[in-house]
Amino acid sequence: MVEISSDVIRGYNDTMILCILMKGPSYGYEISKQIKTISEEKYVIKETTLYSAFTRMEKNEFIESFVADPGPDGNGKKRTYYRITEKGKEYYREKCEEWALTKDVIEKFIEH
Amino acid sequence: METIKNYLESMFASMPNTPEVRKAKAELLQMMEDKYNELISEGTSENAAVGTVISEFGNLDELAESLGLTKEVEVARGMEAEMPRRFISLDEAKTYLSNRNKKALYRALGILLLIISVSFVILMSTSKASALTGVAMMMFSIAIGIGFLVYSSFVDHEWKFMRRESCSIDMNTAAYVKDKQRGFEPVRAFCVAIGVVLCVICWTPNILIPFRYEPLGAGLMFILVGFGVFLIVYPNSIASGFERILHVNEATTISGQYANGSAYVKPTKYKSKTAQTVVEVYWPTVTCLYLIFSFLTFRWDLTWIIWVIAGVFHRVVMINCVDDED
Repeated sequence: MVEISSDVIRGYNDTMILCILMKGPSYGYEISKQIKTISEEKYVIKETTLYSAFTRMEKNEFIESFVADPGPDGNGKKRTYYRITEKGKEYYREKCEEWALTKDVIEKFIEH
Repeated sequence: METIKNYLESMFASMPNTPEVRKAKAELLQMMEDKYNELISEGTSENAAVGTVISEFGNLDELAESLGLTKEVEVARGMEAEMPRRFISLDEAKTYLSNRNKKALYRALGILLLIISVSFVILMSTSKASALTGVAMMMFSIAIGIGFLVYSSFVDHEWKFMRRESCSIDMNTAAYVKDKQRGFEPVRAFCVAIGVVLCVICWTPNILIPFRYEPLGAGLMFILVGFGVFLIVYPNSIASGFERILHVNEATTISGQYANGSAYVKPTKYKSKTAQTVVEVYWPTVTCLYLIFSFLTFRWDLTWIIWVIAGVFHRVVMINCVDDED
């Protein structure tokens, strides 16, 4: 079975996280679970990758963090939540365009 | 869940102990805990859940990079490869602590005997005949006291390496020792308080006891001081054993955090070789002087002042001989 190469996907971890945050604030495990579900279990993001992305994007002001209680399904423990900023939304749209271009180019070299 | 915590702890052991790293560790633990709990609630076996969580953790190099700690982590790894730390297991730590307790007891007893030795002479000084017995008892007490002191310095001999080599302990050991330390703290506080009270009230027998029994008052004073000092030295000496264990890990790394919030006595650094010699022979010299003066003059009621003066002077010597970097 072919596995996804972490080198290739590295540049798009941020895009995936931002995409999820576009729908509303969320926290670490919830985000990683959604990535897994949306990718139909074809991609599982590592915890260190996820946290690294959080710190990097927070430094770049694409996301903001805040501490809050989880929803009714949570076990009442306070968690660090992340929400997307205007700058982050802009970056997300740029990344989407970039991917469309990348996909276009690579596609031309792929033989089906 | 314990396994996951230990795993994370060991991954972070050589990372620098900074707020960012501590936060990263806490966040990662939270994510791992969430994942673990969900897997368990889905009916996964505990072992399988732990396996999944650990295999999906990733690696710390990536994290170090995003936290800007690549260099620090490399330095720490290089140091570890060059000079591996000697690992101290929980069982070893337990043995060490029990040895330290023994050492503390013999040391405190030795000091107690040295202090109360004087009181024998004073109490027996009522007549010429008994005075000689008093001196004999004092010598006996001093001899045993010195014996205890010498023995106490050998009790933890096999642990001398802890002063020379870099060592390390894991989270379980740290938690165990920390727990013991916390439990001992009230006992220590109580003993020290009583000890201080004894030292403070030591002169009261002199006032309460009528003048014609003067030697009784003076003798009791030394006994009170002796037990007071015992109650101060013994528990403090035990407590320093906990401290030493908790401080073996490198203080600037995450694994060194167990030592937080407690005063640490660094191994003494001397300004020069001569300074070290001076400090080392200081108390034996004072003891000799005290005995020589006392036997030459036979004024045991006055010569104890040597200890008071020596105590003050000791501070001056330490300031001049010991290097205080920070």
